[in-house]
Amino acid sequence: MAVIDFCATISDKLNTGVLVVDLNFEIVEWNRFLQVHANKAPKEVIGQSIFAIFPELPQKWFARKLSSVVQLRTQNFCSWEQRHHLFELPHTRQITTDSHFMAQNCTFLPIESDEGQVTHICILIEDATDVCHYQTKLGKTLEELALANRIDGLTQIFNRKHWEECLDKEFSRARRYDHELALIMFDLDHFKLINDNYGHQCGDLVLIKISELVQSLLRHCDLFGRYGGEEFAIILPETDLVGAKDVAMRIRQAIDETVIKFHNENIRISASVGVTTIDAKDKRYEDMINNADVALYRAKDAGRNMVCTANELEECFS
Amino acid sequence: MSSLNLNEDQQDCLQEIINVAMGQASDQLARYLDTFVYLKVPSIEQVSAQSLSMTLNPSEQAVAVVSQGFFGYEGIRGEALLMYQPKDSDRLADLLGYEPDELSVEEQIIDLSSILTTTFLNVFASQIDNQMSYSAPRLLASSKTSVSQHVEQQAFNWDLALKVKITYQVTDYSFNCDMILLIPESAIINIKTVIDRILEEY
Repeated sequence: MAVIDFCATISDKLNTGVLVVDLNFEIVEWNRFLQVHANKAPKEVIGQSIFAIFPELPQKWFARKLSSVVQLRTQNFCSWEQRHHLFELPHTRQITTDSHFMAQNCTFLPIESDEGQVTHICILIEDATDVCHYQTKLGKTLEELALANRIDGLTQIFNRKHWEECLDKEFSRARRYDHELALIMFDLDHFKLINDNYGHQCGDLVLIKISELVQSLLRHCDLFGRYGGEEFAIILPETDLVGAKDVAMRIRQAIDETVIKFHNENIRISASVGVTTIDAKDKRYEDMINNADVALYRAKDAGRNMVCTANELEECFS
Repeated sequence: MSSLNLNEDQQDCLQEIINVAMGQASDQLARYLDTFVYLKVPSIEQVSAQSLSMTLNPSEQAVAVVSQGFFGYEGIRGEALLMYQPKDSDRLADLLGYEPDELSVEEQIIDLSSILTTTFLNVFASQIDNQMSYSAPRLLASSKTSVSQHVEQQAFNWDLALKVKITYQVTDYSFNCDMILLIPESAIINIKTVIDRILEEY
């Protein structure tokens, strides 16, 4: 009975590419995995330069990588996470994944002679397509989750939690660099009546339409969030009281003039608006919210559909 | 004193083996990188799982941590962490002999980590008649918060580890990084057995 060469037999059954090159980059070993995936028989590649068989290899980088293995007599690695693939090989999930080539983890092993000299380098090529595919999906899902965590589901503007985090950051920044910062809070007048008279679907539509309208009036750097129920809040970085009042009055006017169609009804609504700017007395960002809130309730008390400021003048404008 | 602690002779012996390995490793690295590589006298101490994140980087701001597992005969095994500072990554490609546009910063950091870790541990292993294998290096985290978060989020299955910290300095490139070898308690006994054998042979 013939003696079985276990190593050669196993090497040909491995789901890993085994490729050996000499110090001149000539291929001396080529297992079945490579034969199948590169669709080249050993006799086509043995004795050939690895750069002739795989012209896609980054030649200078590859030579330097191998020189570390030879000179330091140590293994080196190349992961799909940094370099999706080295060798352009097709993978085994061509139907269910979208990547073109097999994602690879490559290991470079020094092969030493009895005298301790590195004479060859063995390159192991592992198929990491599955890991790569699931990792990419996980990354996308995490991104979506992070977004969902910041957005109010109904109005698609920032939710309260994220909006407050933004205010916290903007407040610290304005304090540190002594910059302007303004805050607007507004509440839809008699919103409860809309829910009571036309139903909650109508109320939801009003919230969506008003959010869209206000968003369209803001600058890119302004941060607009739903503070609660029918109360909204806007952070205006680098904005003084004059600028913030101007924005607040435009918002009040635009809401007052807008007509929302719900079935055959024309729905009209107004807003009471409170404006404040960062003050030396404000110790925490919550103080600004409080000041804007006080101004907002003053606007309500003064008859609604008005803008009030929380600063010394405490003016109201209709 | 717990049975995991090294006694004074064992500590001296380990220190000596590491010193010799550092000398040979810095020589090999200098030839490969074509610049002088200084390895500072290592610190050897025991750390508990709870205090690991504190002891890793009390004051400095590591921006990247690369982990690589190592394992040899006689149950010698552990994990090597390479920790980099923000300013260190500017000229890495240059140091490694690559063109900067050939590879990303992450790949440069991982490549260098693997070279530093395996070169040192190969020499160390040959000092104790051993031979090391390595897992592929992985970038654990690439910012200060994620480093400590990563360490804190782990539910370690060890209480004590032997920690060896070696600082690499490449003055021509004003580059520093710390290599931290962590040997879990199950492997400390095995290290002690090897050290005791070496002490006996003296």
